[in-house]
Amino acid sequence: MSQADDTPEEDPEPSVEPMGVDYDALEDLLGDAVVGRETHLNADGFVVRADRVEESLSALKEEAGFDHLSAVTGQEYEDRFESIYHLKKYNDPTEEVSVVVPTSRDDPVSQSASSVFKTAEWHEREAYDLVGVQYDEHPDLRRILLPETWQGHPLGRDYNQNKPQIVTFEENKNPLQGKFEDEESDTMFLNIGPHHPATHGVLHLETVLDGEQVADVEPDIGYLHRCEEQMAQNGNYRYQIMPYPDRWDYASAGLLNEWAYARTAEDLNDIEVPEYAQVIRTMGAELCRIASHMLALGTFCLDIYGEFTAIFMYAMRDRENVQKLLEDLTGQRMMFNYFRLGGVVWDIPEPRETFFDNVRDFLDELPSRLEEYHDLITDNELFQLRCIDTGVLDAETAKDFGVTGPIARASGVDYDLRRDDPYGYYEHLDWDVVTESGGDNYSRLLVRMREVEQSARIIEQCVDLLEDWPEDDREVQSNVPRTLNPEADRETYRAVEGAKGELGVYIRSDGTGKPARFKIRSPCFSNLQALPAMSNGEYIPDLIATLGSLDIILGEVDR
Amino acid sequence: MSTLPVTISELLGYGATPPLWMEVLSALLGAAFIATVLLTLSAVAGPWAKRKITAAFTDRIAVSKVGPFGLFIIVADAVRLLSKERIVPEGVDRPAWDLAPFLLPFSALLGFAVIPMGNGIQLADPEVGIAFVFAVSSLSVLGIVAGGYASSNKYSFLGSMRAVAESIAYEIPLVITAASVVLLAGSLQVSEIVAAQSETLAVVAGVHIPMWFGFVNPFAFALFVVANLAEVGRNPFDLADAPSELVAGYQTEYSSVYFVLFYLGEFLHIFLGGAIIATLFLGGPAGPWLPGIVWFIAKIWAVFLFTQWCRSAVPRIRVDQLIEIGWKGMLVLSFANLVLTAVIVGVIA
Repeated sequence: MSQADDTPEEDPEPSVEPMGVDYDALEDLLGDAVVGRETHLNADGFVVRADRVEESLSALKEEAGFDHLSAVTGQEYEDRFESIYHLKKYNDPTEEVSVVVPTSRDDPVSQSASSVFKTAEWHEREAYDLVGVQYDEHPDLRRILLPETWQGHPLGRDYNQNKPQIVTFEENKNPLQGKFEDEESDTMFLNIGPHHPATHGVLHLETVLDGEQVADVEPDIGYLHRCEEQMAQNGNYRYQIMPYPDRWDYASAGLLNEWAYARTAEDLNDIEVPEYAQVIRTMGAELCRIASHMLALGTFCLDIYGEFTAIFMYAMRDRENVQKLLEDLTGQRMMFNYFRLGGVVWDIPEPRETFFDNVRDFLDELPSRLEEYHDLITDNELFQLRCIDTGVLDAETAKDFGVTGPIARASGVDYDLRRDDPYGYYEHLDWDVVTESGGDNYSRLLVRMREVEQSARIIEQCVDLLEDWPEDDREVQSNVPRTLNPEADRETYRAVEGAKGELGVYIRSDGTGKPARFKIRSPCFSNLQALPAMSNGEYIPDLIATLGSLDIILGEVDR
Repeated sequence: MSTLPVTISELLGYGATPPLWMEVLSALLGAAFIATVLLTLSAVAGPWAKRKITAAFTDRIAVSKVGPFGLFIIVADAVRLLSKERIVPEGVDRPAWDLAPFLLPFSALLGFAVIPMGNGIQLADPEVGIAFVFAVSSLSVLGIVAGGYASSNKYSFLGSMRAVAESIAYEIPLVITAASVVLLAGSLQVSEIVAAQSETLAVVAGVHIPMWFGFVNPFAFALFVVANLAEVGRNPFDLADAPSELVAGYQTEYSSVYFVLFYLGEFLHIFLGGAIIATLFLGGPAGPWLPGIVWFIAKIWAVFLFTQWCRSAVPRIRVDQLIEIGWKGMLVLSFANLVLTAVIVGVIA
């Protein structure tokens, strides 16, 4: 509920997830900074005064152990602006709390959290850029996704969406270059991107070089911003939103993205998913994970070997095998649109045996393929020379930047939502979370390769289950109303373990068939923010390798 | 054995000591012949063989539709490359920018002047032959630096700086290792070096193993092959054009004919590297049954294949690692090899 009045609202139902969090104790901890209490579906939220944000978040982080700032959602109401800080624990992501910071519409300034969580810096810039909330004491409050010269804040209420804006090249070419022009200094400013072979999309790295070493690097993103949140807010829950997630991380992670939306929307509308559909979802999602990790492996090697490497083609070949299976399952190669709220769109294709045989053939062949990769890549001394101890990210820095997924696990952060915040069918299956302790480029590659093995284990168990599933119990979708109108002011933030990390979606309903606010928490966005911390002081080739090992998909970074 | 111009002048009936104009003419004819052979090789290697070889390594098919085995892609590519617009960016430093692309193929072709390719195909045979080859092939770095610096592009600049660091770090070991071969052969003259390898080293099961210096001193051979990879700038030492890091390194700004010249120069340098390896370590054009020129080209292609193999399977190292390997590893090893060879040659001979 979202009223920011002084009394904690009476909640007729108990919180949906009565977890171990003692919200009353937390409220005592925060003291008089709290002016109200809200209940979101995923966690309770404390309404905090706009000038006490830093202190409150710091208390929650240091004393209550909420060390993971998952996302910051900015939104505008009729009477106020609001920033929601979604906090979690890396140890146990089911323990969540939201910090809601309302500000008036006339003076939408609230205190920045960037001194407590580094990751807040980018998230707050995004809230400023798209919604118009301003953050006091923010080190660098500029636009992040839109061009510097953009007028207005597109997700704000006053914004005129019908008025086209033209952004000329002249106004925006290298807006920051002047900053680095210094007669005294012998450093060199280098634009890596927007068009560069190693940026994996349209990314611009503003790099300052000292010789060949990186003195400073700053990612400039937004080239691929496609208003995904805005478009989702214009679609109805039941059918119109589901195709969009496929386009966030478009490099074969489609089903994982769809699951992020499905999980949130199902939570919001109290939809149950039949077990049979959960198994299919789990299998499809893990197929996507293998495809995505294969692509990550191939492009990472491309960055290290140069354009003629054999490994890239090998990885693409194996990814193609997965892609064929996914095509059989969903009817599409990339933009699957296979999940529905309450299940999946259709059953395993007939004849089922052929499909299962194909999956098994693929799984049987996979170990020998991985061995080949290990022979070619990880056992290669030159490769080790390049990757071990380069681009090091330690666990504390990783947590500070809200890093998740294979990158966090390679830094020894044992965090995997499939296990820690179970959804789908994962908790009934036998598999392991992979971690490495090195935190370097080599560890990140190893984690991905070992995760492929684990995904294969999961898929194998799913296939076993699906094969033996009784024929009269194959319910692919639960009974979901044709139109979904969740009651007003239900809010939830839900995340799944995407290929790149924690992919979360926040939705607030307003009683209509469309979300009032749809916020995407992209893992690539947070992971990319850690790039400067990983590559300052290293050589250009290591910067490129580190960028490759982050495995960012710009479609997901920019949304 | 007489050199190619002498042979030509004899064929035309002017004898071994022709008048000056005939000497010049026959030298030009000889040079044109050798250049034609090499350019043909490059034309086959660049657009077609490289595609096919890389495809074989990476599990693909590559060109197969244009002509038999896709061979006519050579024509299509030539037309494509030559008909492209030659873009001259603002602020380039001319004429250095225009001269650089010519320097690369020029230096490689010049190196071939003293290489005996079998069947009497050798343009000149000076007494300092092998020193001459290294001297002119090193000129290619000048082209790379000039091109990279004159482009006034930061990527080109970084690429050319890398090329300098790389060539200094690797040319010394290269030449020192070649010097150990010179000690074995007792001459700098290329024909002498080849002749010294024609004796029999050993007879195994009735097969005469020739005294190729690659067999006599495999250590020097290995050193030389590695240093040569750096010299021609192929993986793991392709730092100067490092695609994926520096876009295309020193040749980022070059297009059309200038690009072709750079590309051609790279291939000619790989061939020259192969020719030097063949001459110093693999008995030059020697080999059973087939004519010498066929053997010679086969040996060059073997080296070319090796560089392509490295390109497909070996990661690129970093510039600081390259310099470390060059100065702390290769240099020490090559001097050790030289001293050892000198001692052995001095004691035995």
